[in-house]
Amino acid sequence: MTTAPILEVRGLSARYGEVVALRDAELTMREGEFVAVLGPNGAGKSTLMRSIIGLANATGTVRFRGAALKRDPAAVAAAGIALVPEGRGIFGPMSVAENLQLGAYMIGGRGPDYERRLARVLHLFPRLKERLDQVAGSMSGGEQQMLAVGRALMADPKLILLDEPSLGLAPKVTAEILESLALLNREGLSVLLVEQKAPLALKLAGRAYVVSNGRISAEIDPKEITSHGDLARYYFA
Amino acid sequence: MATSPATILRNPRQWLGQLPLAFAVAVVAYAIIDGGYIVTVVGFALIYAVFVAGLNIFMGYAGQTSFGQNAFAAIGGYASAVLTATYGWPPLAGIVAGMAGAVVCALLIGMPTLRLKGHYLAMGTLAIGLIVYEIAVEWQSVTNGYMGISGIPPLGIGSWELESDRAQLIFLAIVTALSLWATWRLRQSRFGRALVALSGSEDAARALGINVGRTKLIAFVISAMFASLAGSLLVHIVGFISPEMIGMNMVILAFTMLYVGGIGTTTGPLIGAVVIGLLPEVFRGLKDYQDLVYGTALILILIYAPGGIASLGRLAPKRRAAR
Amino acid sequence: MKAGSFFALALAASTAFAGSARAEEPFKIGVSVGLTGYAAAVDRSWRDGLDVAVDYVNAHGGVLGRKLELVVEDNKSEPQEAVTVYRKMISSDHVGIFISGCVSAGNFAAAPFVVRAKIPMMLCSILPPQPEQAAWAYSFLAPPRFEVEKRYEYLKNHTKIRTVGVLYDPSPYANFQKTLAVNAAPEFGIAVPVVEQYKQDDADFSTQISKMESADAKAVIKIGLGGSTLTTAKNIKQLGLNTLLLGSVDDLAVLKPAGDTLGSQFLFVATPSQVYDALPQGALKSEIGRFLPLWKAKQGERDPGWAGKAWDAVMVTVEAIQAAKSFDGEKIRAAVETLPPHQGTGGVYNFSPTVHQGITVNPFLLGTFEGGKVVVKD
Repeated sequence: MTTAPILEVRGLSARYGEVVALRDAELTMREGEFVAVLGPNGAGKSTLMRSIIGLANATGTVRFRGAALKRDPAAVAAAGIALVPEGRGIFGPMSVAENLQLGAYMIGGRGPDYERRLARVLHLFPRLKERLDQVAGSMSGGEQQMLAVGRALMADPKLILLDEPSLGLAPKVTAEILESLALLNREGLSVLLVEQKAPLALKLAGRAYVVSNGRISAEIDPKEITSHGDLARYYFA
Repeated sequence: MATSPATILRNPRQWLGQLPLAFAVAVVAYAIIDGGYIVTVVGFALIYAVFVAGLNIFMGYAGQTSFGQNAFAAIGGYASAVLTATYGWPPLAGIVAGMAGAVVCALLIGMPTLRLKGHYLAMGTLAIGLIVYEIAVEWQSVTNGYMGISGIPPLGIGSWELESDRAQLIFLAIVTALSLWATWRLRQSRFGRALVALSGSEDAARALGINVGRTKLIAFVISAMFASLAGSLLVHIVGFISPEMIGMNMVILAFTMLYVGGIGTTTGPLIGAVVIGLLPEVFRGLKDYQDLVYGTALILILIYAPGGIASLGRLAPKRRAAR
Repeated sequence: MKAGSFFALALAASTAFAGSARAEEPFKIGVSVGLTGYAAAVDRSWRDGLDVAVDYVNAHGGVLGRKLELVVEDNKSEPQEAVTVYRKMISSDHVGIFISGCVSAGNFAAAPFVVRAKIPMMLCSILPPQPEQAAWAYSFLAPPRFEVEKRYEYLKNHTKIRTVGVLYDPSPYANFQKTLAVNAAPEFGIAVPVVEQYKQDDADFSTQISKMESADAKAVIKIGLGGSTLTTAKNIKQLGLNTLLLGSVDDLAVLKPAGDTLGSQFLFVATPSQVYDALPQGALKSEIGRFLPLWKAKQGERDPGWAGKAWDAVMVTVEAIQAAKSFDGEKIRAAVETLPPHQGTGGVYNFSPTVHQGITVNPFLLGTFEGGKVVVKD
């Protein structure tokens, strides 16, 4: 693992009014890595995601493949970073097909490139194929999460950020979704996964950061974590 | 118009879904054939359908609120009135000039105003409607104040004028159909999807690369163009304009039509405009009870068809946006 | 087609509600009035006056053997609504004449269609500005300048005041009068240094009144209807001024509180029927005497001013039909223009091909309140 860094986060801080939600976050990811960000509820994990893609009011620098990212979500998306937001963020009133089309918003309308991406997503999540014309909001939670991931993949990202994809899902469904992510990772996609459910994330991730109280408090090697007690040490450090 | 014939044949449920539209179209056809005063009622309804179709882009698709759309109807209406009645321009030139004026004003107004959200946006736009109304009242050298401007020629091209009520109604029906078709195409476009996306979640839309501010502004400008067109049509059909015609009651009426017809649906603006335009006439014989019965009918519609009449036929809500 | 038949059913239902009896073919009079909205006060009086007049005519055998029938439609004081109701009365009710209320903009908006249908319009409002439309319209209003001139005459003949301020609201009628007030002043040797506008729903006009006071205006010519007159009176009293307040023609019920507030400092332009008791014997008094008891029997002490004009409009229409010996619109119109002067309750109406505002001699009087009673000053 000595590839070039894909994401370098330096001194990233964010606040909501008076409350500092993220303080001096430092994080580095290399091309093709699967990195997990762990931490309890409210630790600042989501703020870290939002700060990276320019949604939060943050200070500090984020470099993507060596170039500084503007604090503009559209520019971040154009650069090749896609976010699967917390709570999925799918557009309920629209059809599955339209949600997927929106994922490829940056390349505009249909075209060979679009069809290729769509075929890949539908191959990965065959259930979406059956439901292309269905209103997205009427699908099950798991299907909606697949759609959220699929929509992010429609942008053909180099790096995908996932914010708590397991939220509100049955373990079996979560496993299915994460498996497909692992598959994509093996094909070269860099993955940054935020999870509260640490064991799940640690099974897939090559490396993990722990966030608590708005700080990145530790960097850990999943192989060293064997018991729940090991992890608790980092959470409450 | 929202569904291709092939889809209808495949899915009989779609038939049911298009019944309200069929009703609206039947009413328009009936008026064209009958030719009585119902022509006037349906004519106004069609003009309002254009106005509401524009409002639907901004409110139904983009999920924003504007209580000030009458401002743009006023710009179109007064531009047409002044340019044709006072300066002798042809109606078409007046309409285009009005729309151009509405675009410029919508840009200037939208840039600061659209930073507001929710109730604040509603209040901000409301203020715009009230201000333009006041200008129509006070700028007497141009608008003639409450006296209004009369002698506005009917629609036409060159020396050929749409004199007969029936010809005017057919023309309005064509303009309305084109307007609805345009909103439908817009909804199916990349831009349309971006609008519906930002109405769902601005953050999620941003993360997909959508420039939320600019998208909203364009939607506002487009809806202003529709409003301006409706204002121009109104003054050419009536032959007169005064501030009361473009006041708050216009906004209230349009909101009622949008919600009764079905906000966010393609055909809702037409259905709502026809139903709301027709209801008072159906109850006119009731004299003093007309408003009471009209109000009751409205409440009943909104209780039993909360998604609007356009969405009534869809027993199983498979798709919301008409495709 | 199902939808179409439903529509037909709905339309049938609506005509069933209207329930017209066609047995004796009455002559229909279309009435577009603002029963709701800003014109409601005047237009309801206008409609009730028409009722009294039509009942009277029908009780005396109708016109040329036909009864009169009113078709009253509420235009909600809005031009667009007026267009709809005018169209309805033309194409569904087939009215033969319009005797419509004071919503000027509504009458203007409908005028092109009415003219095309060749139906004369008797109006409580001012005339449409387009000459080809005004050709079919007859106004029963006194020329607005009369209201102003009556007040100037009084100031000139009975006071030493030669400087006044004009206070007006932005309605078309008031606006029009304001211009006349400014233009007519020099004829009476009166200066108008201050012309101020107010909004009908404003609660205080102290600023405007103070401006007039500082310009040495010793009288306020107030142009506009409704509660604003009382507001002006109160403001003058609060400011402790001895300025005279000269109000426009209005409902006595509206004027009286202003009189109660300012006493002899408040004068107003009165219509003849408002001061019936004080009128000398003559044609005017006897015409009012024909109308007023019928009005009082139905409406009690309600102001007869606008209703009296509605009565006049019906009587002129009846005379024109009798003179034309026809119910045809064009013939009625020709007859209106050649009728001899008609003594009405609101003055003498003398229409001609060039004069479509029938009142040419100032019928107004200047009234004030003394001990709660109306007194004529001039």
